[in-house]
Amino acid sequence: MKRNNVIIILGLFSFFGLAMNLTFKPTPIKIEYPSSWPKPVYNFDNNPLTQEGIDLGRKLFYDPILSIDGSISCSNCHLSYTAFTHVDHPLSHGVNDSIGIRNSPALMNLAWHNSFMWDGAVNHLDVQALAPISHPAEMDEDINNIIRKLIGHSTYRESFYKAFQDSTITGEHLLKAISQFELTLISCNSKYDSVMLKTQVFSMQEERGYELFKKDCSSCHAEPFFTNNQFENNGLPINPILLDLGRYNITKKKTDSLKFKVPTLRNIEFSYPYMHDGRFKSISEVLNHYTNNIKVSNTLSNKLKSEIKLTSNQKVDLTAFLLTLTDKKFLFNKDFSFPLDKYYPDVEKKKKTD
Amino acid sequence: MKLFLFILINLININIYHYQNNDQLYVKIIPLFDNNPIQLSKANKDSISIETLKFYLTDFCLIKSGEVVWKEVNSYHLIDISKPTSLDIFFTNEVKVDFDEIQFLLGTDSLTNVSGAIGGDLDPTKGMYWAWNSGYINFKLEGKQNSKPFQFHIGGYASPYPTVQKIRLKTKKNLNIAFNVADFLNQLNLVNQNKIMSPGKEAQELSEILSSLFYINEKE
Repeated sequence: MKRNNVIIILGLFSFFGLAMNLTFKPTPIKIEYPSSWPKPVYNFDNNPLTQEGIDLGRKLFYDPILSIDGSISCSNCHLSYTAFTHVDHPLSHGVNDSIGIRNSPALMNLAWHNSFMWDGAVNHLDVQALAPISHPAEMDEDINNIIRKLIGHSTYRESFYKAFQDSTITGEHLLKAISQFELTLISCNSKYDSVMLKTQVFSMQEERGYELFKKDCSSCHAEPFFTNNQFENNGLPINPILLDLGRYNITKKKTDSLKFKVPTLRNIEFSYPYMHDGRFKSISEVLNHYTNNIKVSNTLSNKLKSEIKLTSNQKVDLTAFLLTLTDKKFLFNKDFSFPLDKYYPDVEKKKKTD
Repeated sequence: MKLFLFILINLININIYHYQNNDQLYVKIIPLFDNNPIQLSKANKDSISIETLKFYLTDFCLIKSGEVVWKEVNSYHLIDISKPTSLDIFFTNEVKVDFDEIQFLLGTDSLTNVSGAIGGDLDPTKGMYWAWNSGYINFKLEGKQNSKPFQFHIGGYASPYPTVQKIRLKTKKNLNIAFNVADFLNQLNLVNQNKIMSPGKEAQELSEILSSLFYINEKE
């Protein structure tokens, strides 16, 4: 009888052990943002953030396994230290040295976007990654093939299990993990934000620039995200080589010709070159465009129909304000950069013990 | 100990009994070419061969005297002729209602198209999602006529050209739903119209034709 008891107790132990394993609970994470901001557009109920999900997404974001020849990761065109854009590169790069037709956009505050890509081709953050993954001039890969590679990888099945309690890797979970990481990329700690919270004050020059900004720029680059998330024709002459009609390519409506999504101005100091095709290298070139070079056409934004006039001193003031949108805490956030510990856990351990 | 075994055996028995007695209602989809079952990649008398036939049937409900009496929850089914099991749609819960009509959608509704990544039959790995113009391909038909390829990828959810179509068929018991691909191709001129890969007016027109071709197969 004693022996039976021992067996029963052991059985119970193994049963509870198994049950606990099966109900591994990931750590829930809540994003933080200023209380004055509106509620996110992204529905977190369909993809609740967890530390495990975010970690997996970050690992995927930095892993060239997503590209056909293992040469390109998301981070190739979206570098954390430059607000997740490809600084100094007018057009996106891809596998086999291919060059795309558009400037890689900066990534931040994505939970408040309801469309993605310069032409709004993508309608939800979760499915955004499918576009660069499949594009022949970007990653040129098939999502089913990525899943095959991930299944064969030494750690991904476990990471997916921890994030989604399912070691079967699905397209849904792959995309949701990438979203989870991207949703944490929140920039809300610039000098501008501190001024809004009344913990800091603008210099007189920045203040003058802010007033000019509110008068001439904020109808499209609306606070607090510095974009209205709409599509506008900002008077750029069409690039004769790229012949990119922007939003028209998606809607096929004549009224959408030459319209592109209004980009955020947060971290603009680090996100050059500017415009959908990266044609301007500096903020001063951008300001000169708006004051002197607007090309009038049928679809020109209503907000640009009356001329923007700025003296050279005013341009300096406006630039000073724009530089207050730099968020160093965001740019140099260690949680956003290459996850060395995820790829080389031994190196990190060694560093700590040294 | 004996009591424990007794309970265990009974639990197993109850489970077996439950599964056997489950009077499950299911819909059988019968894709035909003229009156014959479609054989993939095999040319028929019109020198047409079908290589891919995949489409979504969603939002199944049963209707009695014009009123919905039963509705499937999370009703999304990808019908793929290369996967015979996908042709039998088993409803997950038991259905015991009288009905005189069945209703479903050919395609996916607009909410589904703007809800991000979804799993199961809607997973983007199923080859039915457009990466560069977000949205589901509701109906995919690919093949050849006299070795000339045709490709119909019909989708689009946004106004003014949504391609999702409601289908309502009168039936009291028989849920064998047939669909004749030849009836679709016969209405087109494959020489001029052999490709569609994006949403728009043409896609909407084709989706209307497709939705008119489903019928209750009385033979089975």
